[in-house]
Amino acid sequence: MSLFGLRVSGWQLSTLFLAGLLLFIAFPATAQDKVPASPIMVPNPATDLWRAVRQREGAASGQTQVRGIETGVLIEQRGEAFREYRRRDFIGNAGIFIGVIAGLVLLFYILRGRINIPGGRSGRRIKRFADFERTLHWFTAIVFIFLALTGLTLLFGRFVVLPVFGAEAFGVIASACKEGHNLFGPLFIVAVVLLFIRFAWRNLPSRGDLTWLVKGGGIIGKAHVTAGFFNAGEKIWFWSVMVLGLAVSISGLVLIFPTLGQPRDIMQLALFVHGIAAVLFIAGSFGHIYIGTIGTEGSLESMTTGYVDENWAEAHHDRWHAETVAQAARGADRHASADTTGAVHATTDKA
Amino acid sequence: MSFTAFVDGPFWYFSATVFVIGVLWRLVGMLNMGSKTDFSTPRSSGSAAALSINITRFFPRADFWSRIRLQVVAGYLFHVGLFALLFFAAPHIEFYREYVTGFGWVALPEWAFILVSEIAFLGLMLLILHRMLNPVTRAISDRGDYIGSILIFLVMLTGCLALARSHEVLRVTHFFLAELLLVYFPFSALIHTFTFPFSRGFMGAHYGRRGVKV
Repeated sequence: MSLFGLRVSGWQLSTLFLAGLLLFIAFPATAQDKVPASPIMVPNPATDLWRAVRQREGAASGQTQVRGIETGVLIEQRGEAFREYRRRDFIGNAGIFIGVIAGLVLLFYILRGRINIPGGRSGRRIKRFADFERTLHWFTAIVFIFLALTGLTLLFGRFVVLPVFGAEAFGVIASACKEGHNLFGPLFIVAVVLLFIRFAWRNLPSRGDLTWLVKGGGIIGKAHVTAGFFNAGEKIWFWSVMVLGLAVSISGLVLIFPTLGQPRDIMQLALFVHGIAAVLFIAGSFGHIYIGTIGTEGSLESMTTGYVDENWAEAHHDRWHAETVAQAARGADRHASADTTGAVHATTDKA
Repeated sequence: MSFTAFVDGPFWYFSATVFVIGVLWRLVGMLNMGSKTDFSTPRSSGSAAALSINITRFFPRADFWSRIRLQVVAGYLFHVGLFALLFFAAPHIEFYREYVTGFGWVALPEWAFILVSEIAFLGLMLLILHRMLNPVTRAISDRGDYIGSILIFLVMLTGCLALARSHEVLRVTHFFLAELLLVYFPFSALIHTFTFPFSRGFMGAHYGRRGVKV
């Protein structure tokens, strides 16, 4: 083939054509840097349509063959508004609240320190909780901690876990947390019901509770405050567990079964109640865990061994201690009168 | 070889082989031990007592009920829940069809699958806690009891975390722990799954021949 007097083959011509094409594509880009083209405003023909679909003027439902809640609504603005509120306001405030409570507990520990058993340990132990009660307590505690960790991961994960571990790992963690949270949730309902059956009667208000509250339970200051098996603080925690447990349970069931036909408003309310109750629950548990472990000497063993030191009982639950000792003495009297050897059995451990 | 390929391939064959051979070895070994010939005239049939005790031991004695009701209730919750979960959960039936039997069977509906999982978890957690908190049970428990219980709990937990079946790593974790359990199974107290009828029968025959009501 001859081109401007030069003999060129077919592939040479093709290469030349491609090079020219590349130059044609490249040059306008550099040319644009030098001479800015005037922008041409092209209106999006779908803008008005989507604006109408978003229904800014109010909710509107169209016709559809699909049966179900809100199936006729293409875009629900209230859902977006709730999502924004949850992400921007709720999660931030929840994080601040939990952090402040944890800080306050830490500050209290620094200022007050551990409350030791007055007079030290006596060496004599009193039975406080039965095996079943301790099993039930730890079952509730384990399920609660699992739910708290998975729930907090779902709540704060996007802001805390995602930046650290990356999107792929966060996807795995979030999926696992969601499944685990949904499966362990009903176990917590069982735990709350069993706690109510087992402990409610001992947590009813009784004489001395108000005095205990007025004096701050003796934890503030040095004054001794009288109390029965459970003091007013423990009773408040118990009923808080019941109320918050009921709130997270009902709202959790609403959320876990979205196919039961509840409308969007109910789902959003359930999500809100679930979050608020769970955050209060977690914050409250900091105080419970603190007082039961490092805050008070001798408390934890009541839930690990079932026994407490007699001096601990006398210091923190003097009325219960007096009743237990009196009961043990009556038992000893009965043993003594029935026992032909005349030996008096120590029944304090079996009280 | 990737970890996933290892878990799905060689380690699966290894653990399944150890499980089958180990269980057979334990059973044959136990049955071959035999017992001393009893020359005394039996007061009642040992065989009948061996069969009878296998039924009666499913029910707690009324005298002990108040003390052992937690173990009994939790034990039934766990064992029945785990049995239903193992053999009637749809993902497990899929697994058996693909890896073991070549055929499947009717699976529990999703809601029942979740329900039996809850029941099994409830029972297992109560049993583990009872083992740790009850002074008598704690005294007669050894490390193997805790390892077996914790391993089963972890297998169940990872299975529950992988329920969405959206991430391969969760499935592989569950599968790997299940394979570890298969390897551990024959050499632990978990072998009672297969030996309990024989041990009950031995006790029943022993006492039955002496006229003890079992």
